[in-house]
Order: sequence, then structure tokens, then C-alpha cells
Amino acid sequence: MQTRASFVLSIALFMTGLAVMSVPASAQGRGGGAPRVAPALPPAGPIPRTADGKPNLEGVFSGMGSGLTHTVILEDHTSGFGIRGGPSLIIDPPNGLIPYQPWALVERNKRREDVNAYEDPVGHCEFYDIGRLHSFAQRFMYTGGNIAIAGQEQIVRIIDMNRKQHLPASIRLWNGDPIGWWEGDTLVIDTTNFNGRTRMALGGDFYSANAHVVERYTMKDSNTITWTMTITDPTVFTRPWTFTTAAPMTRQVEGSNDWNRALRLLDPAWEHDCHEGNVVLRHMRNVYDKAYGGKWRQQTVPGSVPAAAP
Amino acid sequence: MRFIILAIFTAATAAAVPSISPVVAAQAPAGAAYTPGRTPDGHPDLQGVWRAWNLAKYDLEDHSAKPGIPAGRGFVVDPADGRIPYRPEMLARRQKNYEGALTPDPIANTDPLAKCYMPGVPRLTYLGWPFQIIQDQRDVNFTYEWSHKKRIVPIGDTSPLPDPDGGLNLRWNGMARGRYDGNSLVVTLGNFNGYTWFDMAGNFHSDALTVVERYTLIGPDTMQYEATMTDPKVFTRPWTIRMVLQRQKEVGLLDYECTAMLDDLGIHHTFPRDFDVQ
Repeated sequence: MQTRASFVLSIALFMTGLAVMSVPASAQGRGGGAPRVAPALPPAGPIPRTADGKPNLEGVFSGMGSGLTHTVILEDHTSGFGIRGGPSLIIDPPNGLIPYQPWALVERNKRREDVNAYEDPVGHCEFYDIGRLHSFAQRFMYTGGNIAIAGQEQIVRIIDMNRKQHLPASIRLWNGDPIGWWEGDTLVIDTTNFNGRTRMALGGDFYSANAHVVERYTMKDSNTITWTMTITDPTVFTRPWTFTTAAPMTRQVEGSNDWNRALRLLDPAWEHDCHEGNVVLRHMRNVYDKAYGGKWRQQTVPGSVPAAAP
Repeated sequence: MRFIILAIFTAATAAAVPSISPVVAAQAPAGAAYTPGRTPDGHPDLQGVWRAWNLAKYDLEDHSAKPGIPAGRGFVVDPADGRIPYRPEMLARRQKNYEGALTPDPIANTDPLAKCYMPGVPRLTYLGWPFQIIQDQRDVNFTYEWSHKKRIVPIGDTSPLPDPDGGLNLRWNGMARGRYDGNSLVVTLGNFNGYTWFDMAGNFHSDALTVVERYTLIGPDTMQYEATMTDPKVFTRPWTIRMVLQRQKEVGLLDYECTAMLDDLGIHHTFPRDFDVQ
């Protein structure tokens, strides 16, 4: 599953620079006053617990491992210009491949073509898919009986721990409607009501508005959380499938592998401006317009992108 | 079609019918005697989803009706005449801003919000979309439904804001320092980049702006919001707005992707960088 053209990778680089980094750290300066950073990662201890005896996830964790490996492709891939190689993140099915229906695989591969990189909402400074968010560091917070998970690009998911039912089906959301509960030391998050517009990676992987996503966060010790995400979507896949992060989510402190991104979730001086002054997209749009004459490419998933442009 | 675009930042928000009158909001007593709950750290517990159901987004001053905009009272409580104390030579720019914001074409529109640029503070508060306050041991997080914006207010950091450093240390939403004062959360902001407005009437500021926000619970489901603006380049004296925010209980934060709305309407993000070019 290696991408074929280097151009798509240069676009991937473009978009990574644009949407992941947003503004180079050097350009924003620190400026937030004295950063309050923790000392080096303490040795792993027992699971910290809240007053009600549940695991206390508070803090910043990242499953990135030794470096970003799956921003473009979730399946097995060798390295190439702009991306690092990595083994498949998919733990089920056992072959490590996303079980697309035939039409959906065709659509995914179209999305992977150079010219269509313009369609990725992340390049437009819009929502990451919730799985894609977990490529990077995330900060867990508790509020009013609920759990908040802050991730890249200002995205904060509020997990409703009190509600048992999802919102009415007519309310569709970029990151869906998450409700959560505890099963032992595992936080289970059940999400539906998607709008089907997000993508799981620069390489075009997707699920539809009909997807049902179940995430399981299991605290192993004070420094470690394992995470899996299972997607059931009869519109797009032949069966449910499950993937995980490149490495177990590890508590981030100064000097950690993903500390630069973790810091953005903690540093008040870090402003995630992305859309403001985003002129890169113009060039991608020019390429796109040449191919499609100023309209959106006709896609096969209803509601996955806007209707044809005027 | 073009009129529909207008709906993004005007008519659509007019649907937010005020459930309390702006006059009542403006007259809400300062520091009313309500004892809020406390966070585990002992601070006033301001957490939850809050929303301004009022006309502040249109115009912070008293104003007559305009197309799609109800007439209404303003929110300026100081000075007493309810007018923003502009330096005389700055009024022409406000007028130019206002006239430029009348076009429904977001590309030509002078309101930074028309292109979905960051609204700034305090405009984010009364834009009409709800926001959520999360109080962590470390800081206070504000998460806004509008374009999933977020800002972090550090608590207890009393270090001065850094030198602007030629713009490197300027922000759309400014840089913040937070503290608790009795039952209030007080946020002091500076280092704004000068590209944001206060409302749709063209009220504006420069990069010399400082803002002091004060969030005070005045009932279990009502919060008083005050903001004092100081900007010697634009105003002759500091001025203060006051309004009441209401707790939203029926549903949590949903989403509103402003840039995606533009895309859907055929306004692609291919406009040049314009906010820092005169």
C-alpha cells in the first residue's frame, strides 16, 4: 500500500505543514509567560483514580510512538518522500487491511490521487476525524461529570458520561455525538450522528455518516493508556474493523516524543490560527479546478462533501 | 445566492431571538450577591455551556433597525451615555468599516468574520453561538461552538505579557492572564493583533487594545459578563460592556464550521491574505 506518486506526498507535506503545524512554533514564539512543565516522566505507578474510584485520565497522552507514521496511510506502508514507513495500525481484520466494499475502495483510491488532495477538510482547517485526532497528543480533562478530550487544531470533544441515548438522527456532527461509560478500568466512548465529511488520513480513508464508532481507553498504569477504535459502517465496509495508535498512549512531559504537540494543548500563548492567511489552498484549488472545471468531483458517498459549486 | 451568504453572519443569527431584553441585561447589577458552587480547588464553579441571547453581535451601542437586524439597546454601561468613546478622528474608520460590511459578498466584505477569521475577544462571547467553560487545576479552557475555537486562560501566572516582538507575540484572541476575584473569574488580555472587530456595526480597535473580562455567576443558570476595553490609539478613555449569559441545558456544544459553510456556498478559501494589508 505505497503511494504511487511523489506529488501526493509533497501535497501531504504541504498539508501537514498547513494543518498539523498551522503556524511554525518559531513564528509564534513562546510568549506565554513561564511555561509550567512537569519534571521528567516519573516511573509508572498504579492507576491514579478519581473520588469515585474510576481511573483518572487527567493529563496529556500521545500514542505517536517514535514519530508520526500514519498521517497518510493507516495500513502497512514503506517510507517515501515526506512520510515515514510503518506497519498497519489495523488489528482486526488480521490481514491489516481496511475491509472496504469494492466501490468504497475505488472511492478511497480516488481520494488518494494528487489532484483530489484539495478535498481533505483538514487542509481547509476543518475537523479531523476522531481517529486521526489520536495520531497526535490529546489532553484529558474532567468537567461537570463529563470528560473532555482536547486534541489538535482546537478540537475539543466533550464526552457525555450521563446521557444514555444519542441525539436525534437529524442532528449531524463532524465528530459525531459521543456518549461514554466505564467498564472496569476502560472508558468506552460510543459515537454516532456523524456527517460523513471527515477523512481518517491524508490518504483518503473514510467512513460515512452511518458509521457507529466505539473507542476503548484502558488505563494500564499511571503513564499508559491503550486505545482502540472500532468502526461499524455497512455503507462503506464489509465488516467492522478495529485499529489502534502506533504505540500505547504515553503520558507526555517535557522531553517526551510528542511534547511539541502536547505543549500546544497546554500553552495559553499557542493560538491555532490556520484558516487565517491560508494561501496554500489556493494552489491546490487551481490544480483541482483544472481537473473538474470549478465544480466538486462527483463522489459516491452522499453528504460526504458539499454539492457542486456554482 | 449572494443573499444566502449574508445569512451566514447576519440573518442566521437573527434566529437567536433574545429571551431576555438587552435593557435588562445591561442593567444587571454588578457583583450580585449569589453564592456559586465551588470547584474542588475552591474556586467559583463557572463550568457548563453558556450563551448570550442578545443583540450585542449586531451593535454594542443603541441602534435603529437595519435589514435583518432588530433595533435595540446597547450594552455599554460606562460611559453613562452608552456610546463607545472614540477619538474623533477614528469615527470615519468605523463608518468605513460599517459601509464595507453591508455587502453580502464575503470576499468584498470588510468584516473579518465574513471570511471566517477569528472573531477575537470579547466578540467570541456574544457572537450568538454557545461556549463551554472547563476549569482544570491548571487553567481555564474556553471552547466555542463557532468553528470549534478554543482558548486557554492560565490561572496564577502574573508575569507580564511579552513584548509584541514585531508581531510574533500578537494573537487574534490576544494573550491572557487569569485570576479569581471573590466569586468572579477575571481575565486580562493584551497582545491583540488589531485585525478583529467588536460587532457587525464596524466597531474596532487597534493592536494597543487591552481587555479585562469578568465572569460572575449571579444565579445557578445566569452569569454576568463584563468587559472593559482600553485602547488609547482609538478611544479617549476605557469603556465597559455588561450583559447576562444564560446556561444552555438542553444540549451540549454542537458544531458550526464557518469555513465549511463558505465552501458549501461556493466561496472557496482561495482569497489572498488580506487582513494585514491596507
